[in-house]
Amino acid sequence: MTYKPPAHHRLLLNAVINPASLVEYNAAEWELLLRLTRRVKLLARLAIDLKNRGLLDQIPLRAANLLQSSLIQAKRLQQVAHWELNRISWALKDTDAPVIVLKGVAYSLAGLPESGGRIYVDLDILVPKDRLSHVESILRKKGWVNHHKLSAYDEHYYRAWSHEIPPLAHAERETEVDIHHTISPPTSRLEINTSSLFSAAVAVGNSGYRIFCPADMVLHSAVNLFQNNELADDLRDLLDIHDLLLFFSKNEQDFWKKLTERANQLNLGRFLFYGVYFSRLIFQTPIPENLENDLNEKPTALSRMIMHYLVPQALFPLHPDKHFRRALAARTLLYLRSHWIRMPIHLLLPHLAYKTYLSIFRGKAVARPVRG
Amino acid sequence: MGPFNVQIRTGFSTLAAHLYNLYENYQLVERDLAEFHVQISPARLIKKPFSPYARFFLDGRSLFPPFPAEQALAALEWGINLAIATRINHLLLFHSAIVERNGYAVLLPAWPGSGKTTLCTALVHRGYRLFSDEFGLMDPGREIFLPLPRLMPLKNESIRVIRNYLPEATLGPEIRNTHKGTITHVRPPNESIARSGETAKANWIIFPKWVPYAPLRLDPLPGSEAFLLLASNSFNYEVLGETGFQAVTHLIRSCRCYKLIYSDFDAALTAMNALTDDI
Repeated sequence: MTYKPPAHHRLLLNAVINPASLVEYNAAEWELLLRLTRRVKLLARLAIDLKNRGLLDQIPLRAANLLQSSLIQAKRLQQVAHWELNRISWALKDTDAPVIVLKGVAYSLAGLPESGGRIYVDLDILVPKDRLSHVESILRKKGWVNHHKLSAYDEHYYRAWSHEIPPLAHAERETEVDIHHTISPPTSRLEINTSSLFSAAVAVGNSGYRIFCPADMVLHSAVNLFQNNELADDLRDLLDIHDLLLFFSKNEQDFWKKLTERANQLNLGRFLFYGVYFSRLIFQTPIPENLENDLNEKPTALSRMIMHYLVPQALFPLHPDKHFRRALAARTLLYLRSHWIRMPIHLLLPHLAYKTYLSIFRGKAVARPVRG
Repeated sequence: MGPFNVQIRTGFSTLAAHLYNLYENYQLVERDLAEFHVQISPARLIKKPFSPYARFFLDGRSLFPPFPAEQALAALEWGINLAIATRINHLLLFHSAIVERNGYAVLLPAWPGSGKTTLCTALVHRGYRLFSDEFGLMDPGREIFLPLPRLMPLKNESIRVIRNYLPEATLGPEIRNTHKGTITHVRPPNESIARSGETAKANWIIFPKWVPYAPLRLDPLPGSEAFLLLASNSFNYEVLGETGFQAVTHLIRSCRCYKLIYSDFDAALTAMNALTDDI
């Protein structure tokens, strides 16, 4: 199946796949592109793509200024997230609890060339469930506190149904620290072999930090996008998968074979299937053609067909001035799907009802099902 | 306005009429891109179904809770400031009023009790050119300031003070019961808008403080103190990191810094004129 995107998706996609062509864009195209790119958190990524090619001075000055602005902000966010990691590892230096760095910070530790343009606002780490309360109490003793005020309901939501504890932040700093004990909510039907993730983790040089091995990093990224997220405006997360696949297939021996074997071993074939399927469909990632044949678990033909039509509609941003009804419908369906696969129905319905009640009568949203 | 183009959409005809009056001196943009796209749209609250409310959107996203429709102008101005403060990092954004006289910029940074907008309003109707009453936009590489002449929001007692002192100033409607009390916007003088492309280097940093009945005082301020006051009051000093530190260092070294205590515009104006005549 091929993907025929509407014009505003094409504008964005072309910018990501072929940044050199941006020197041809006129003011109106730039204006729309900047708005779309900001919506999917890829402004700094676009900036670094153009900067690396020496093209920032060949585009309209107003566009270049906005791109520079977001790149400066991305650099700052990266700096504070890395500093937070430094402080966390200082605080935990006397414990033997293993810690794995996840997501954005991990991509930059892994040396992903595009990570300089990735925006990440928090630090995500993984610790074994049986060491979780130990790690949390040490951090609380050393100055970390709840990042947001939590209601009893929020607290219960995190502690009972989520794969992470309520976010912490050091009292003197802003950076949110998300401490996970597994990579998918315990309420989902997914069983994750977390101890296997720990034993396969790799050290980053002699920094003392540990990250997932390449195959696990891709699998986590895919689980996160297709299991934990609602997919709306998540194009950046699919681009992560594309970047990881390109990077590791170039630098790791037998990467594709290891990847499929690991997916089968962890029973995550279904998520890898979607990851490679949409990465290839949208970004034309050079992935071996028959890779999916080696996966034990695959979505059914019907699921595939439905996802094929819905996912791109959600991943790409809505047109800022005209909303396409089809895209809105796709987003609603995928929003419901994301809840459906994370929580059994007897938990889900009361949760959604409570959220709706609060959004009307307290004027603010509560703990949305945690992402990632 | 200044270095930015803003696209404003609204269905509120009263807001449109106010904007027509207050924004009439700005140039309309054709064939260039706008940095900011804002919208004021009607909103209905379940709790207050019969009062007209409105919402501010930046690129289709609501940044703050709905507000009574008659406060639309204040919310629009505030929302645009918020958009600038959260998105712009290629310039250093000081929280400061800036005016220009004799070719050089004067910074009037915000600090508690500064009344910078009120003083700034008086100055720009007495021969100073308005850069901004809120944002000191500095290009850190070239060490120059960029004008961003926007409407100047007067609060509470300042409104009556300015009406008395400057009967010639063009003021917008009085907007009551906002989170900052009553607000009225002053339209920038036409010349400040027409010359908003002309940048300037800074020569003076004056920390103003309005104290009722106090005699005028203009005292030099040590550079180190000025540095801390200015940097800690910037919107994005920390985001810019080393660039920000270098820029503020150069700025303090190239400027004369003062603390101004005043109770009366005429006296403050005389003192500031004497200061800015001495280049």
